[in-house]
Order: sequence, then C-alpha cells, then structure tokens
Amino acid sequence: MKQLVSAPALFVEAGICLIAGLLLAFLYAPIDVSSMGFSQKIFYYHAPIAETALVAFGIAFVAAIAYLRTQDLKWDRLGLVCVRLGLLFSLLVMITGMIWGKAAWGVWWAWEPRLTTFLLVCFLYIAYLVLRSVVEEEQRRATYAAVFAIIAFIDVPMTFFATRFLPEGLHPVVISAGGSGMEGSMLVSFLISMLGMTLLLVALIRRDLAVEDLKDRVADLKNTIGG
Amino acid sequence: MAILRKDLIRELRTREMLISMILFVLLAMVIFHYAFTVKEGADLTYFTGGMLWVTFIFAMLLGLNRSFAQEKDERCLDGLLLCPVDRVTIFFAKTAGNLIFLLIIQAVAVPVFTLFFVERSYVGDLLPFLVVLLLADVGICALGTLLATISMNTRSRDLLLPIIFLPLIVPVLIAATGATTLIFAEGAGFGGLLARVLFLLGFDVVFIAAAYGTYDFAIGE
Repeated sequence: MKQLVSAPALFVEAGICLIAGLLLAFLYAPIDVSSMGFSQKIFYYHAPIAETALVAFGIAFVAAIAYLRTQDLKWDRLGLVCVRLGLLFSLLVMITGMIWGKAAWGVWWAWEPRLTTFLLVCFLYIAYLVLRSVVEEEQRRATYAAVFAIIAFIDVPMTFFATRFLPEGLHPVVISAGGSGMEGSMLVSFLISMLGMTLLLVALIRRDLAVEDLKDRVADLKNTIGG
Repeated sequence: MAILRKDLIRELRTREMLISMILFVLLAMVIFHYAFTVKEGADLTYFTGGMLWVTFIFAMLLGLNRSFAQEKDERCLDGLLLCPVDRVTIFFAKTAGNLIFLLIIQAVAVPVFTLFFVERSYVGDLLPFLVVLLLADVGICALGTLLATISMNTRSRDLLLPIIFLPLIVPVLIAATGATTLIFAEGAGFGGLLARVLFLLGFDVVFIAAAYGTYDFAIGE
C-alpha cells in the first residue's frame, strides 16, 4: 500500500523537474554555437531518455541475478516491469533520435552506432517479451526470462562496440572521456532533465509494480469466489 | 566427452543432418548468386564475407533446433540430466558438437563460395582467416547452445530460437563479416583485423562465462 501512496508524489517531482528542464533548455541554455543550432534543444530530452532506458535495463539485469539467486517471484516481476518501461523509453529514444536526425543530418534514419544499438536493444527486449509469452509455468518462465535478461544486457555494450566497426557515423559525441563538452548553463539544464526522467522511471516502476500487485489480488479474489 | 561422442556417432550413423546442411549451404550459394549478381560479370568479392556468415548463422539455427529436438523427442535429455555430471558439462559437450558440425559445413562452404565469388587469392592470409573463423564459431555455438536449450523447453520451440538468437548474434556477425571481407578484399592488414579478432575473442570469453553461470537454470529441473 505504501507504494500506491508514494507513486503520485514521485510523479509530481518528476513532472516539476521535467518542466523545469524544458524551460531551462529553451530559456536559459544558449543556442548551440556549433553546427547544431536550435535543433540541439532536443538533446535535453533525447539523451536523458536514452540514459533512463539503459538504467531500466540495468535494473532488470540486477533483478534477474537476484531472481536466480533467491527464486523469489517479486524479482521476476520487477524485471518484467523494468523491461517493459525500458522498451518504451527505447522507442522514445528512437523517435526523438529520428526527429533530431532529420533536423541535423537531413535524414530520418542513419545506420550509425548509437541508433543502431538502440534498434537492436528494442529487438532484444521484444524477444524477451516473446520468450515470456511462450512459457506457461510461472517459475520456469521467470527463470528463462532472467537468463535471457542477463545475456541481453551483456550483449548491449557488445553491440555498441561492434557497431563501431561499421563505417563512420554522424552522431555527435557529447560526453567523452575528455569531459562533457557542455557549457555550465547547458549542463545544469541537462542534469535537471536527466533527474526528472530518472524520477519518472522510478515513479512508473512503482506504479507498474502496484498494478501487478492488484492484478494478483484480483486473480486471488476471483479464485476464492470460484470465478 | 561421452555426450559429444554420442552425438557424433548418432550423426555419423544417420547422416541426415549433415547431408541436408551441406545441400542447404550449396543452395544458399546459388540463391545469393542470383540475388546479388546485379549485372553481368559483377565482382562479388566484397559481398562474400557477408554471404558466408549469413549462411553459417542460418545453417546453425537449423542445426541447433535439430540437435535439441532429438534429445527432447526421445526424452534422451531426461536421461542426460539424471547422469551424475555437472550440468555445465552438458553445455560444453553440446557446444563442442555444434562447433564440429559448423566446422564441417564451413569446410565445404568456404572453398566453394570463395572459388565462385572472390576474385583475389587469399591463400597467404589463410591463418588469420582460420583464426577469425574459429573465434566467431565459438561465439555462435556457445550462445546458440544456451539459447536453444531455453527455446526447446518452450511452447513454440523452433519459432522462438531465431527471435532470441539473431539479435544477440549481431555483434559477432558485424565483426566476423568485417574481418572476412578485409581478408578477402584487401589482405590481412594489421590494425582493422586485429581489433575485430580481439573483439571476437572478448565476446567468446564473456558469453562462455555467462553461459557457465546460467546454464544450470536454463536446462531446468
């Protein structure tokens, strides 16, 4: 029950951060002086969404290991919820990435390492959902899903490295080993957006977990009244 | 070791899988030829690496389904699971079996494909080529065996395997195709090839470790 109470508060916090990030991005952060110009504004949404998607899959990975160790189905449920949300965020990454790509490069799609990686990530985690749908027994489904979630998460950086072997990409490298390459005001706006997006993820995870709980209770109640 | 021997003997006795696989590979070559020859006398050297690896991965999909379907249909796997051996041993035996199977296919496919498609002699680069081949094969077989073990226990079996296997194997495909194309088209230049070989090696190590950790769960009770 506690989860149900706290989720709305988190949504409000996430909302405040996201709106603040948006306002800062447009009003406070300067217009990018390099090649990007005004279209660079989408970066304050695009990159935080991408980061959040990876965080979601990271949580699913940890939950998968926790499940294999404890065989406790609550970890399986957390994994499922995270993968679903991660998939949603990945789709948003691709949509925002395509919009940006159209504005900056003039094409909707480029076979470029990051975009390609996210495309494969989408396929991977759709496969995760397909895998779940073809196993009936609950424990077994949870086990296979956990094994696959582990393998899939390891595969993501592999795919990213491998796509580096492909011919040169167009994607701007904003944060590299050398530093963030952003001005102070840009960085502040970016970090607030990032915080907002992460809070949104946490809020969504909590809400989805609560929904799954309710589903279970409904199923239990149906069983007791002999439905 | 005994499991590997059993699989090999079984295959040698029936030969059903190997013959159909070799036919599959040869037919794939013919189909690729018609699909990619866009004009008379077109040079397919740059496509051969890609054709080869696509063929190997699809052949492997068929092989993987077969190798576990037999176990499942005759309930041999239950017997295997009752044996007092580590589950991981089953994984390594199955991976080795699939590897040998893939190598036999390649022994047929590589000479034929390159004879017809590659217009430059790569004999001098045979050693790096074999290294690439072996490293990529190990990755494909290890990952494939793990995933086939999962998929055979599900409702849709051989339909599921490509869906979970193909997205995971893309990194190997990219690196192996790149390396093979380099060798066929330009000779084994050090830099580009070495990076890909190291990548394939890293992939093998990571996924064998991952399979080692998770195979107990994948094969089930």
